[in-house]
Amino acid sequence: MSAADQHPLSSRQEGRRRRTGLGLSGLIRLATRFLWRDLRGGELKLLTLSLIMAVCSVTAIALFTDRLERALLNESANMLAADRVLSGRQQPPRAWLQEAEQRGLQTGEFISFASMVFSDQGNILVSAKAVSPSYPLRGDLRVADVPFGASFISNAGPAPGTVWVESRVLPALAIEVGDPIYIGNATLTVSQVLVQEPDRQQGGMMENAGPRLLMSLNDVPATGVIQPGSRVSYRYLFAGEQQSLNTFAEWLETQPENEYRLRDVREESEEVSEALNRAESFLMLGSLFAVTLAGLAIALTARRYSHRHFDHVAILKTLGLTASQINTMYSLLLGILWVVAVVTGSLTGWLIHEAILAVLGSLMQVTLPAASITPFFIGALTALLCLAAFALPPLWGLRSVSPLRVLRKDVAMEGSSQWLPYIAGVGGILALILWYSGDVYLTALIAIAVAMVFAVLALASYLLLKSGTSTGMRAGSAWLLAKSALRRRSQQSVLQIMVFAVTFMSLLTLSLLRSDLISDWQAQLPEDTPNHFMMNITEAQLSGIEAFYQQRNLQGNPFYPMMRAGLLTVNGEPVRRSRDDDAQPSNLTERVAEDSGPGNTPAVDDESGQMSVASEQDGTGDDESLRPVTRQITWTPTLPPDNEVVAGQWWHDDARPGEVSVEQDYAERLDLALGDELVFEIEGQQVTVTVSSFRTVRWDNMQPNFFFIFSPGSLEQFGATYLSTLLLEGEQKLMLNDLLRAFPTIVVLEVDAIIAQIQRIIFQVSSAIELIAALVLVSGALVLLACVNATLGERYRENAILRTLGASRQLILRAMLFEYAFIGAVAGMMATLGAEAALYFLQTQVFEQTFSLHLWVWLAGPVLGTAIIAGIGFAATRRVVNTSPLLVLRQLTD
Amino acid sequence: MTVMVEARQVGKSVKAQDGQLHILSEVSLVINRAESVAIVGASGSGKSTLLGLMAGLDQASTGEIWLAGQPLNELDEDARASLRGQSVGFVFQSFQLLPSLTALENVMLPIELKQDSQARHKATQLLQRVGLADRLTHYPNQLSGGEQQRVAIARAFASEASILFADEPTGNLDTETGAKVIELLFDLNAEFSTTLILVTHDDRLAARCARTVRLSSGRIVDNTAGADSAEKVESTPAPGQEGAQA
Repeated sequence: MSAADQHPLSSRQEGRRRRTGLGLSGLIRLATRFLWRDLRGGELKLLTLSLIMAVCSVTAIALFTDRLERALLNESANMLAADRVLSGRQQPPRAWLQEAEQRGLQTGEFISFASMVFSDQGNILVSAKAVSPSYPLRGDLRVADVPFGASFISNAGPAPGTVWVESRVLPALAIEVGDPIYIGNATLTVSQVLVQEPDRQQGGMMENAGPRLLMSLNDVPATGVIQPGSRVSYRYLFAGEQQSLNTFAEWLETQPENEYRLRDVREESEEVSEALNRAESFLMLGSLFAVTLAGLAIALTARRYSHRHFDHVAILKTLGLTASQINTMYSLLLGILWVVAVVTGSLTGWLIHEAILAVLGSLMQVTLPAASITPFFIGALTALLCLAAFALPPLWGLRSVSPLRVLRKDVAMEGSSQWLPYIAGVGGILALILWYSGDVYLTALIAIAVAMVFAVLALASYLLLKSGTSTGMRAGSAWLLAKSALRRRSQQSVLQIMVFAVTFMSLLTLSLLRSDLISDWQAQLPEDTPNHFMMNITEAQLSGIEAFYQQRNLQGNPFYPMMRAGLLTVNGEPVRRSRDDDAQPSNLTERVAEDSGPGNTPAVDDESGQMSVASEQDGTGDDESLRPVTRQITWTPTLPPDNEVVAGQWWHDDARPGEVSVEQDYAERLDLALGDELVFEIEGQQVTVTVSSFRTVRWDNMQPNFFFIFSPGSLEQFGATYLSTLLLEGEQKLMLNDLLRAFPTIVVLEVDAIIAQIQRIIFQVSSAIELIAALVLVSGALVLLACVNATLGERYRENAILRTLGASRQLILRAMLFEYAFIGAVAGMMATLGAEAALYFLQTQVFEQTFSLHLWVWLAGPVLGTAIIAGIGFAATRRVVNTSPLLVLRQLTD
Repeated sequence: MTVMVEARQVGKSVKAQDGQLHILSEVSLVINRAESVAIVGASGSGKSTLLGLMAGLDQASTGEIWLAGQPLNELDEDARASLRGQSVGFVFQSFQLLPSLTALENVMLPIELKQDSQARHKATQLLQRVGLADRLTHYPNQLSGGEQQRVAIARAFASEASILFADEPTGNLDTETGAKVIELLFDLNAEFSTTLILVTHDDRLAARCARTVRLSSGRIVDNTAGADSAEKVESTPAPGQEGAQA
């Protein structure tokens, strides 16, 4: 008689069909109970905390950048008085304005020019701006009724027949609001004092030389100041939906003979966009590091959690749960955890970003738009990715736990891939990098770099641990005990060293990058950055101006002689003007350098009392390809600040005439080499010089910078005007009137507002960067805790046995201290190496900074690593030696 | 008589450093419904391995095992899990309660696995039956060893399994508590007419079974009815003393 024949349930098919099973609701109940219990029991605490940390940091960063970016975009739009601007020295076709209107865009226009204005008592050079009624499309005009009085927003620009002028025009002309002034042939009435216009700092020198006068576009013909050849800047303004703006831009591209380009603020102001781009890259990098570290912590805790659940799964399988039910249950558990983490993390992230805004609020002069839903979505998706990549794979392996484990503890997994968690983890990190950066090339580069770093780290630490041979535990001394523990657990120790090294590396990289970025910015525009450019100074005026400074206790800066020169030949070969050189320099300093100088400054003939508009003397009308490259040049015995000679020699006291120092990038563009012979044309004469050095120049430092600097003695025979800078703060600005009254031919470019704005933006992004660094630090701490915790189980067992055998607590504690200190030191060393490598890559490839080694880190890295890991390890393992060995051994037999 | 478990020429071997290590060889055994069988033998004789194989926790290297009418070697792990959930109950030396669940939840689990809506009611009754009515909401770590084993026994009967496997059920308990637990186990076994297969070192416990199967070096060396075993047991030392019959 066989069982198959006689048992009531003997049909095989029936047996297979009648699968036992909990329904989904039963599995959810079970998952909830496990989760609740493990949360209370502390087993899931670190995992949950890490996940919340990931959501929280990503959400906070995303919220902050989302709102800040939109605020800055709004502010940027204000800076342009429009969303996009088209500008040129010639009037663009008017049909383009109509086309834009047909596309549903708002339009406006203005022209600007420098002009003398007169009253019955005096005259002053102003930068006049004649605007259409719709100006400004973005931002506000602020006016006051009296000079330096309280300001208010005006809904419309000046009415025809009236003008608005900046405060200091009134005392200069000795008039009051309501009095007439004369511009060319027209008489106009001053109706308001202009306090602020949104796009005050845009454009070249023409728009910023002297105080502003705002008038109606309709009054321009009556003045008769614009003649053929007059130097005038035309601007068309556009505002509207992003989509319409983009299609309009595309349409413009297709227009024949279009030399104009539609620009947004990023293209208009290199100083601002540079800071913004770097900050964005840093924030992206920061959130990536925070999430990767949180992911690492999640992976470690999930691994430990899954190990601790081997027995549970074996019991559940014994009771009849199938592998797929086990998977479903643990996936549900992670699902619930995800919901908990997303809710908690989003809330904390929101609170953190609100807290930062509260701190920064008073300092930020922008109103932040409401947060969009996107950051929360990013946070939730990040958590999902973290769980899928870091937590699910180790838990997925639980399906392979053999039920036989209920009888024999040594049975663990059946045929499950041990590599799955690692592959999934690395895949997850790469997916995050790709997602955040949106750059396949960068992702691939990082993947290769990380793989190499990991391979080297793993090999180095393995070799280090395996060096020498030993048997047994070497229980005699603490150091030998530690060494043997490291060797016996070499695989685990390698993993620990790598995890610690990666964590330290991330923290080091980010904090070094942070301080380099911030100090770079601070160096770019220190507090005492001169905020006024003075141009068109004649040699005869120099001593007078210096005396003026002395009388008023003003700190003057060097005067640079300037003149315009055309580059004719390089080593006898004619230089063709490349298209590149035609593009208007987007950098303020370049604009100043290019726009100023005797050739281009408004040639105001104040002696004769005749008003005129500066005329274009840039060789217009020549055949385009034959025009020489013309640049502002100077000569000076001393290397200007922020210039660095990168090749050749700067002339010192032994300066000889006939040498020139060329800006490095420009030299590359012209394909110059040291020793090349350049022939310039100045005032119709040819001057031959030899290239003696190449310099790097900080174009974003808002200071006078030059492509070509000649050695003293080379140019003295030509007439030059001088350029200098001056710092004027607050009330000091009124001294400008005195200065201009004393030296009426001087042109003053006021850049104080734009410097203040850049400093403000830099402060904002610096604060954001500090915050991100702090969040990453917390994530890093979680990883360290998770990693130390992950190996506690084995330590408990080993130390219980050692203590049972008579080892003192002191010996064990010392041994563990040594062990962790060793791991920390090795990890610190590797982290330092890795961080320097990462910084080299990031600073040269992503942030466009110069890289230099951080020597102090080479000492601090290993020392800090040793101290931190020994500290954390010691604190955590004190528990191990303080638990009674009997208790540990009894628990171990369970 | 209905056969509940049948082993035919079962062998189990594992890879060792110096070739194959044979744990069980040519084991054949038939266990009928409501029978109680003790598997005894020295440490390493293969008792627990045989129990694991018969319960479908592991697969035999050679031979066939039929459990509740199903050929185990033809079933995959999921099918074996279903079969265990349907027909098999377990009591282990180390109790194997889920630490995340209360006593009540631990007992409810196998009933819930059968999608029985009466899980809470039935589990409560069973816990009352094993004398733990006032410990329903306690977690395993809040219970004594004896109490944990009683919860485990309640859980084993909760699924209304037809076959109960017990692996050293008194191994972790003191004599007095062990005796009480044995009482309970046999009382419930009689009450539910379950087939009981237990692995033990405890001869007194073995003596309570209708039949004793003795293993030595992976082979059955004795397969005798209860009366004999009971007589033999009279002269053996107190329960819990390891290797008494080696």
